[in-house]
Amino acid sequence: MFIKVSSATNLGLETLGVDVEINIASHGLPTFEIVGLPSKAVDESKERVRTAIINSNIEFPARRIIVNLAPADVPKEGSFYDLPIAAGILALVLKNQLPKKSLFFGELSLEGKLRHTRGCLLLALFAKEQGLENIFVPKASANEAAIVSGIKVFPIESLDQLMAYFLGKIQIEPAKYQAKEKNKEERAEFDMKEVLGQEQAKRAAEIAAAGGHNLFMVGSPGSGKTMLARALPGILPPLNEKESLEVTKIYSAAGNIPPDGSLISECPFRAPHHTISQAGLIGGGSTPQPGEISLAHRGVLFLDEFTEFPRSVMEALRQPLEDGHLTISRSKARACYPARFILIASSNPCPCGYLYHPQKACICSQREIRKYRKRISGPILDRIDLHIEVPVVDVKELSGLETESSEKIRERVVRAREVQRKRFLTEKIFTNAEMKNSHLKKYCPLLKKEVRQLLNRAALSFHLSARSFFKMIKIARTIADLEGAEEIAVPHMAEALQYRMKVHYE
Amino acid sequence: MISLNQNSKLKIEISDSRYPKLLKELGRDAPKQLYYRGNWDENILENCLAVVGSRRMSSYGKQITEKLVSEIAGAGITIVSGFMYGIDAQAHKAALEVGGRTIAVMPCGIDLIHPDYQSELYQEILKNNGLVVSEYEGKFLPTLWTYPRRNRIVAGLSKAVMVVEAGEKSGSLITANFAKKLKRKIIVVTGPLTSSLAVGINQLIKEAAEVVTSARDILEFFGRELIRTTETRSLSADRDRVSDSSMEQRIIAELQKEPMEIDFLARNLGISASEIGRIISVMEIKGLIQGENGKYYVH
Repeated sequence: MFIKVSSATNLGLETLGVDVEINIASHGLPTFEIVGLPSKAVDESKERVRTAIINSNIEFPARRIIVNLAPADVPKEGSFYDLPIAAGILALVLKNQLPKKSLFFGELSLEGKLRHTRGCLLLALFAKEQGLENIFVPKASANEAAIVSGIKVFPIESLDQLMAYFLGKIQIEPAKYQAKEKNKEERAEFDMKEVLGQEQAKRAAEIAAAGGHNLFMVGSPGSGKTMLARALPGILPPLNEKESLEVTKIYSAAGNIPPDGSLISECPFRAPHHTISQAGLIGGGSTPQPGEISLAHRGVLFLDEFTEFPRSVMEALRQPLEDGHLTISRSKARACYPARFILIASSNPCPCGYLYHPQKACICSQREIRKYRKRISGPILDRIDLHIEVPVVDVKELSGLETESSEKIRERVVRAREVQRKRFLTEKIFTNAEMKNSHLKKYCPLLKKEVRQLLNRAALSFHLSARSFFKMIKIARTIADLEGAEEIAVPHMAEALQYRMKVHYE
Repeated sequence: MISLNQNSKLKIEISDSRYPKLLKELGRDAPKQLYYRGNWDENILENCLAVVGSRRMSSYGKQITEKLVSEIAGAGITIVSGFMYGIDAQAHKAALEVGGRTIAVMPCGIDLIHPDYQSELYQEILKNNGLVVSEYEGKFLPTLWTYPRRNRIVAGLSKAVMVVEAGEKSGSLITANFAKKLKRKIIVVTGPLTSSLAVGINQLIKEAAEVVTSARDILEFFGRELIRTTETRSLSADRDRVSDSSMEQRIIAELQKEPMEIDFLARNLGISASEIGRIISVMEIKGLIQGENGKYYVH
């Protein structure tokens, strides 16, 4: 007896169709084998399938069962072959046909229930692309798959239910997509109005959010750098439909979508600890998994205590910061992940942290400070537009000070993003920060003589490098967008100059 | 540490007629020989002022050193210091900036540059007709005891010692002590009582050091006139530069009270972070104010 069940495997963000061929031989000793380069997790599928079928009160055939995963030369990973194998065996035992143009995907528990399985969104997209009609996925993953319209997503709870469906005893209602949106309290840990003082830092955060600029904050411990960064998601604009799908795909591939999860509509915020490995940050593994930078795609990557990150990890950020995506190549597989994020980095001014502190004395020598600052890679600093110093705040002095809420700042950010979206309709970029020099000429001509004069004088008195010179124009463009100004004027440029790199690190 | 090529010819024995007379006043403690780099010419040793201070220089210390030394060195006084980072290095730099001459007394052998990251400053001193001297030959490494020994040469070469910022157990106090023994004039720059860098200064004031209020005080001591065209200004007086807007004037008025961070400035003036940034940038370009370590002060 032979049956072919369709399934698929995800390699990075790409999906490859896999045929699960099952043969139950009428001769030979009872055995259950999986061939076709299964990994350990796939091979263990045998035990899960056998036990789940038995626990669903179905007799497991004591025959020679061979499962082949084709194409047989691609290494197979993951636990989602459980459902196609079990469905195939059930169909053979029940002498039933499986529904046509259908994909099966999901992990089994020993009691015969289905578990939430990663990558269902990618599977659904693949099914639609291939012109298939039905996909059978675990119930907990069905909402994720149902994001894709135009195919029937069958939410499966258990093998019992699937068997009843095969026998025509019950009908299973295809899942309907239900969007879940976070309310504004859930968006960020803090509201901007909870951050006391730090007016300039907050303004810099607003500019960073509006133009997608990277931001570097230097300040003593307790000055509020971390709090400010954690308040940032509250002022980021919502993702548009295209961005939303991009981000959700990455999260689906990484298995970061919770059961019954839906499209991710808010900018992601990732804050990995500084002990992170290079593979953890950039992505990697023998079958390359997305790293933190890809999980922060279209959102914010916050690297606190930036100087503590290993140099090799820091340097690895260079290429993705420039390109907005990266390809991870390993001997077994290759995967390309997008990684267009806002980098927010923060560090202390010196090893003890109290350099320039109004009350505490710094105990570091000049040599130690120099060594500390040298830990930050120059090329990375070059790719950061906004640089600010965060002063220590006397909380007692400031309590009761009225400040703007995140909601209000967010409105301005959303408006500025809309202006940029329209500006770059014909380009492949979305934000001012992504502009290359050719874009600057086209979209930011410094028409006003006074603006050019100001910038040139600043370049002389502040010793701006060529790269900083262009950064200033980009920041000025964002400031003008926040104001809704058509053209960059003197005040915009003057403010932009405040965010230049004032400390030299190397 | 950077090693230089050996050049043992540049050496002056205590018996040499070129040996600085002021230094001989150290008596038995006078160094037996001085190794040097640069051109040994007697003029440079004629009118020397030692400028010493803390390694942990504050932005105030930096500002004052720059201001005073540039006016003093501009009038032809040689600035002597210990080539350490902080006030010492700042004093050398300020002297070089106005084309003045300066002498660096090293705590290590003459063939070493210490600290090595100041090698650029080292070369600048030599290029501007300055001197680098040391009592130690070759590649003698600096050790804990060579720093205070070095200070006696700094004091010994100078007619007066100016101390800018000194902590409780600062090396600058050792220099001042040598100056006291040699009956040289000790001049101090006052600091706020709350600052740890004023502890040593206040100690010196109690021991009857003189307080400097403008470069003219020091120039009068040397019997010199200011050769710059601009008048020496009292350090706290209003600046004669005119700013065009009332907000700029208000900012200057605020900053004259004390240097402060941009956020504090904005709060005191009641304007937003973006507004203040716009004004501050323009004022910085005009040279009205200067930012240093996150704080702004009137230039």
